[in-house]
Amino acid sequence: MAGIVGYGIYVPKYRLKQADAAMPWGNWASGEKAVCGADEDIITMAAEASEKAVKHAGVNPAQIGSIYIGTASSPYIEQYIAPILAETLELASEATMIDYCGSVNSGANALLGCLDAIESGRIEYGIVIGTEDRATAPGTEGEASFGAAAAALVIGKDGIVADIEGVYTYSTLFIDRWRATSDSWVSSYFDYRFDREFGYEKHLVAASKGLMGKIGKTKEDFKYAVFQQPDERLPGLAGRALGISTELLAPGIASVLGDLGSCSAFISLAGVLDKAKPGERILLTSYGSGSSNAFSIIVRDEIEQKKRNLGFALEKYIERKEYIDYLSYLKTTQTLKRAPY
Amino acid sequence: MSAPAPASPLFWRFNPEVYRLIGTKCKDCGHITYPRRKICPLCGSLNLEEHKLSRRGTVQTYCINWTVPPGLEPPVPIIVVDLEGGGKYQGVITEVTQAEEVKIGGKVEMVLRKVWTDRGINIYGYKFRLVEEALR
Amino acid sequence: MRGKVAVIGVGMIPFGELFEKGLETMAQEAYINCLKGVDKGIDPKEIKAAWFGQWSGGLIGQGTQGGSGLASMIGQMEIPITRVENGCPTGSDTFRNACLGVASGVYEVTLALGAEKMRDKPGVESLVAAGGGTGAGMGMHPSWMLGGGGPSIQALYATRQMYELGCTMEDYARVAVLNHHNGVSCPYAHYRFEVTVERVLNSPVVCWPLHLLDCCPQTDGAAAALLCRADVAKKYTDKPVYVLGSNIGMDHGNLWDKHNFIEMLSTIRAARGAFEMGGVKPGDVDFAELHDCFTNTELMNIEDIGFCPKGEAHKLLREGQFDRNARLPINPSGGLKAHGHPIAATGLGQICEVFWQLREEADERQVKIKNGIGLQHNVGGPGFGVSGVNILSRTP
Repeated sequence: MAGIVGYGIYVPKYRLKQADAAMPWGNWASGEKAVCGADEDIITMAAEASEKAVKHAGVNPAQIGSIYIGTASSPYIEQYIAPILAETLELASEATMIDYCGSVNSGANALLGCLDAIESGRIEYGIVIGTEDRATAPGTEGEASFGAAAAALVIGKDGIVADIEGVYTYSTLFIDRWRATSDSWVSSYFDYRFDREFGYEKHLVAASKGLMGKIGKTKEDFKYAVFQQPDERLPGLAGRALGISTELLAPGIASVLGDLGSCSAFISLAGVLDKAKPGERILLTSYGSGSSNAFSIIVRDEIEQKKRNLGFALEKYIERKEYIDYLSYLKTTQTLKRAPY
Repeated sequence: MSAPAPASPLFWRFNPEVYRLIGTKCKDCGHITYPRRKICPLCGSLNLEEHKLSRRGTVQTYCINWTVPPGLEPPVPIIVVDLEGGGKYQGVITEVTQAEEVKIGGKVEMVLRKVWTDRGINIYGYKFRLVEEALR
Repeated sequence: MRGKVAVIGVGMIPFGELFEKGLETMAQEAYINCLKGVDKGIDPKEIKAAWFGQWSGGLIGQGTQGGSGLASMIGQMEIPITRVENGCPTGSDTFRNACLGVASGVYEVTLALGAEKMRDKPGVESLVAAGGGTGAGMGMHPSWMLGGGGPSIQALYATRQMYELGCTMEDYARVAVLNHHNGVSCPYAHYRFEVTVERVLNSPVVCWPLHLLDCCPQTDGAAAALLCRADVAKKYTDKPVYVLGSNIGMDHGNLWDKHNFIEMLSTIRAARGAFEMGGVKPGDVDFAELHDCFTNTELMNIEDIGFCPKGEAHKLLREGQFDRNARLPINPSGGLKAHGHPIAATGLGQICEVFWQLREEADERQVKIKNGIGLQHNVGGPGFGVSGVNILSRTP
């Protein structure tokens, strides 16, 4: 099976305290989140993350047969964003452009699609990018909690640093957060407890269990559990339902970087890969919009041969910060605009 | 006066320059420039070849503009960079608002940024960012 | 050129924010004043060709006024009229074309008129229009030109000048102090008040390191000059002023092609050519009207034209060497800084000043005339890639 040949991430340096966005509206939130500068967006973040992933992988861009981007923040309903990254990465015109949109599970679907393409033999290498900066509106949960970041994985059969030994998905019709074309923001949870139990927990647990059953492993075989992290409590609740000790869970990032959507699981994965030892097994499970994808990843010896993440460890990105105030945030997100005259 | 739309041929023609940093170098006088051209602007020679500009360099000069066109928010710090391997590049420096943060001779690197939006389409290009030792 | 062309009369209107006057009114008034400025009078029918300096045209919503625009404005329907545009040196180049018309032998009398209406738009908008906005409107990619404008290009030079030549923001402010002081005495100047170094440095930062008072204003105005063959000049006036040299110099328009950021090749080339044409040297010049669109620009201009070595101008300024009563008066009219910068009219307004100074008709702002030679200079255009220099003299 194919595996991860290289990885790279990008997190903007600006931070907003979550309470600064919540309190003016009588809401409550804690922690802080990473936010884009006025000239950043999912494409600029993806460019920096993917450039590093390709360098880390040591692969010639001309060999990359397809680019898979997963996001719930595309600025366009019709117009690809993949070709812009194809330009910055200097891919060949034969490379296939694939945008996965519509959910924060899109990043995981992008990885799934890439694996399928490599397994089928259609392509030799693919690059998978999760990138997110979801639209927000004043007074909503998202305005306090949605963070911005991008993560990229080069997938292939040669030069693997971590194998992907199995995949399992579990989905039902379930309306989680949504954003219709008539809306300029993503909704809050309809009801946190309902969405938590019958959305996040149910699907994530089912996908994880299904994966373990499919590849004949139990929770004892895993050293790390990397789950989608809309906030820092949810992974623990899912872990408890799976009987997984909290020690296995990837470190909390939602209270320092926010809810990273389509790259949430990949960013946490990068943090784990920055430190994991050869032979260790990682459970990676995403969740979004009633869909959950679970992957089993085993680290290889080869991970020691390439400088991990080219030195751009997740920790360093978390430490690199500059606070902005709520007013600046409203301006950069264009929630507040200057009147034309 | 309305500028050509992002969907126009003008922007499309510049894709190799803007995304792949392809300019030209004069084989006679060595002058490096962009966009790609057929005649050297310095010596008039027709003997030119394609040249890939480096994404790293040092600051030649800079200024911080507070009077900007409608659609841009000030300040806009403008920079001219001496690129590694030759040539200069004009652009904007990102993540900087104070003159004190920039020094002539300081190291900078290109990062992709959203430069403009017109008719809902974003135009991307390289801006410069101070090279941060913290991220090495 | 030398010995072939004479200026027989000039005229202008006071520059300023002339909200009550449109482009047509200003051009007409300048033209009428110019006809009146011919000592022995002139019949308008004697004018055989005209050049119309008009820079902004469509850029600030003015509509493009071509040659026929001027023909209508001044009632000259029987002669060829061409619109000239060459950036900030439009005025210099309009004058130069009118000179060439005479020097070529084709026309005996020609008219050069420049007019600019800038204040029908708010100050900032015309400043931005002067810079080209985001680049796509100039056929370039926004990522290369973003936020660029008149002040930003000179600010890029100003930063490097301080780094390489040791001048300071106080030195730049001193240029404003001197030019404002001169402007107080000039009835045609836009601004007629004194400033101090402190006031300049405390004014809002427009484009660091340049402050609001480092920048010339946005001005409306019009100015004109009448030229004729040198050998018949005395028919019109006993005190004609002769053209020694008239030149335009080029440099790269793209900043990334520039060789450095402490001197402008356009000025260097324009001046060198004009001096060669006239067979004179910088040391022969009694006074000069230079293009101080920004205060640091004046220091560069003084050096680029050859009045002193590179890096010395700010030191000489500190010593008062460019004051009106000193060795080499610069901008006795107040310069662009105080006199104003109605782009196409500026160069011709400077020609008017040089004309009056050489004829010793400049009242309380009169400078000492030793060799009888005055120099006029503009620089500008995209990337400051164009400069115009005209050298005039009391004797042919």
